[in-house]
Amino acid sequence: MQKHLITIIILFGLTAAISADTIKATVNGMVCGFCATGIEKTFRAQPEVKSVNVDLENKLVTIETKQGRTLDDTRIKKLLGNAGYSVVAVARQK
Amino acid sequence: MKTTTFLSFTLTTVLSFAAQAKPLSYVGGTMVMQENDETGHTLSLDYTFTPTEAFGLYIKQEENGKQILMLTPEFNTLLKRWNLPDGQGNIFNMTGAGLAHYRDNNQPCLWTAFLADYESRRWFFSYEPRFVWDGDIEKSVWQRARIGVAPYLANYNDLNTWLMLQVDHHPAKQDHFVVTPLIRFFYKTYLFEVGYSSNQHIMVNWQIQF
Repeated sequence: MQKHLITIIILFGLTAAISADTIKATVNGMVCGFCATGIEKTFRAQPEVKSVNVDLENKLVTIETKQGRTLDDTRIKKLLGNAGYSVVAVARQK
Repeated sequence: MKTTTFLSFTLTTVLSFAAQAKPLSYVGGTMVMQENDETGHTLSLDYTFTPTEAFGLYIKQEENGKQILMLTPEFNTLLKRWNLPDGQGNIFNMTGAGLAHYRDNNQPCLWTAFLADYESRRWFFSYEPRFVWDGDIEKSVWQRARIGVAPYLANYNDLNTWLMLQVDHHPAKQDHFVVTPLIRFFYKTYLFEVGYSSNQHIMVNWQIQF
């Protein structure tokens, strides 16, 4: 029984480790295509990022990370801040 | 072909960029802008190296008055930004120091401008006073204001269209007040503007960011 439990825990841990994050950041100040391009290029240059999408209408930046990689909130806020925008909220999905 | 005409042609067709858009992009971004209007032809090429600073090259061939050619390095600074839920406001400073050329006379020159703007997906407002010192050739102050409205709300992958009105006041020129209705098209990182001024000049501006 103990062996099975350890196996389950390890498998669960591995699944969590290799899963990707979908991060949705709500951003103030995004109004135009130049804003979107700057944000896209900034995130695409990060080795953890698989894809990025900017939705001006909903003020959302959606970042999908590579398997087993993630970006913490502090880094997301810093990257968006350097691109010239303010982060209102960050939500994550595994 | 006269040198001035050749320079104007070259600036117009090859270089063109400075379309009253923001003088900074994102860190590591390069921006080329050109403006061709009743004041002359302007080219600027800027590289943004911090979130608030860009460095570049500014060339202007003036017309509608003394035909002065200015060539200066340019330093652009974001002094203040307001990121709002539905818009963005900014105050920038742009400054350059270099050479002015007029009738075989080269003079040191210095210019500085402030640009205040507010932009939402629907509305655009800007105001820019500019101070130019071309040594013994000319000293001038001019100001420009713009208002714009987007007839439809476009997203990033759509063609954005803006209807705008630009008012220039430049006491050193032949026409002190000039009004230019224009239309701006914007697709991703490509911006193109065309207008026709009250003193009967065609305006063509473009900007590319990469």
